[in-house]
Amino acid sequence: MTVVPAEGAPGGEVFVPLDTGADTFQARIIGRSRLAITAIYWLAWLLFSRRTVAGTSIQRELEALGIGALRLVMSSALLLGLIAIFQVAYQLKGYGAEALSISAIAWFGARELAPVAVALLVVARSAASIAGELASMRTNAEIDALRAMGLDPVKYLVAPKLAALVIALPALTILADGLFTLGGWIGSSVFLGFGTSFFAEQYRLAFQLRDLIIGLVKSILFAFIIALVASDEGINVENRVAAIGEAATRAVVLAVLGVLAADTVVNAVFYFIPSFV
Amino acid sequence: MTDDLALEVQHLTGPTGAPVLFDVSMSVPYGRTCVVLGPIHSGKTVLLRHIVGLEAGSSGTIVVDGEDFDARGESEVVLRRMRTRLGVVFQGSALINRLTVLENVELPLLEHTSATAQEAREVARELLSAVGLQAAGAAIEETSCAHLDRAAQRRVALARALALRPAVLLLDEPTLGLDSHSAAELDHTLERLQDTSGFSVVIFSHEVRHAFGRVDRIFVMVKGTMIESGTRETLQKSQHDMVRRLLNRRGAA
Repeated sequence: MTVVPAEGAPGGEVFVPLDTGADTFQARIIGRSRLAITAIYWLAWLLFSRRTVAGTSIQRELEALGIGALRLVMSSALLLGLIAIFQVAYQLKGYGAEALSISAIAWFGARELAPVAVALLVVARSAASIAGELASMRTNAEIDALRAMGLDPVKYLVAPKLAALVIALPALTILADGLFTLGGWIGSSVFLGFGTSFFAEQYRLAFQLRDLIIGLVKSILFAFIIALVASDEGINVENRVAAIGEAATRAVVLAVLGVLAADTVVNAVFYFIPSFV
Repeated sequence: MTDDLALEVQHLTGPTGAPVLFDVSMSVPYGRTCVVLGPIHSGKTVLLRHIVGLEAGSSGTIVVDGEDFDARGESEVVLRRMRTRLGVVFQGSALINRLTVLENVELPLLEHTSATAQEAREVARELLSAVGLQAAGAAIEETSCAHLDRAAQRRVALARALALRPAVLLLDEPTLGLDSHSAAELDHTLERLQDTSGFSVVIFSHEVRHAFGRVDRIFVMVKGTMIESGTRETLQKSQHDMVRRLLNRRGAA
């Protein structure tokens, strides 16, 4: 068996020494950027390679991060649909425009509420576990072992998680879109007294395919943010046991903020540059 | 540099910024077994991490299998080339717990060789057999490493470290946490594998019990400095109390 020359990922060293002071922030930004570039590189690489163990890891991550979140996302989306229809109908009741609540469901369900809700649910469920898992691997020297074998930890640990989330989040968002609408229909027909055909007609008039597409694009963006923020927090953890919990907490906080900040930027772009879509 | 050296550390000081090692030098001939002996926090693991390129030093050179590497840091591509010539068994084994036993051993083969998945699997099975895990058969191959006992984990780590047929095998406290029977079996396995494959062995340890009969040279490290080196016989006559204490520590006989 011959040993072939090693291939190098573009990002190079992604582990940034943890210090205090001004250099830390800059170093973390550089480190996080390198992590993102390297992870995206390996993500593309994984699509075309079937030889590596990392490929089979995607399946495991999909089960853990995607299928594992099904019940949470499905039940939450259904409830959010009910909450949304009640809340909007309640606000519009004074104007005699309760029927507009159905249009509202169609307006912001697919484009805004479903992708953001799914992203936040996945953050709540998985960001801490991603960061905790990688942090514990770091403290157990598993990441050092990978590097000592000349293996890139980003390829074997981060890229499969990123791949799984990039697949799972849009899929969960589509599911959430459906259940959010179902919750709206249940609320409007059972509790507000609108007929099914009226709901369907109002929904059809308000719903636009581009809203669904924008929601899915957002979910992919959120997948990148969640995977990279949580992985970065875990993989760069300090080598002490208490740091694992701190990294998990930081991962959740930063991923939530990251998702909301990205959503704000996207919405601002669509608002100020209407011709963008 | 000498041609018959599998590993040579020349005037290593590091890590950068907060040095723990001070002008450390050592050399390991091909096919020989050496022990870096020192008390806890003497810098043994830091030295191992420098040799593997996990830490960057402020000065020094590491020579692995005839090729020089700058201890101050090399590119990832150069480090990967160096790491294929080194096998490392970390303290606590450091197996990838989320992977099965077989997948752990396959990892370096799939990454660094042109072996197909099937070939890598066969080689991994041979390695597991060579380290004495063949008795458990297919059941253990598909077991997650997290579910193995400490002795079995150490053997899997050994199989993984030998996957690329390294010139030098580095073991950090290989028998730490093992009962005396398991430790002796691991020593025996290591000696047998060294006989058949001819790799050099460097054991980083606070005692010289394991592989004792095999040790050609002992490097004594205290507070990041190599204070003395030699055979057990010569070191027994050392003027340093610490050296004699370490050599005569319980379990050294």
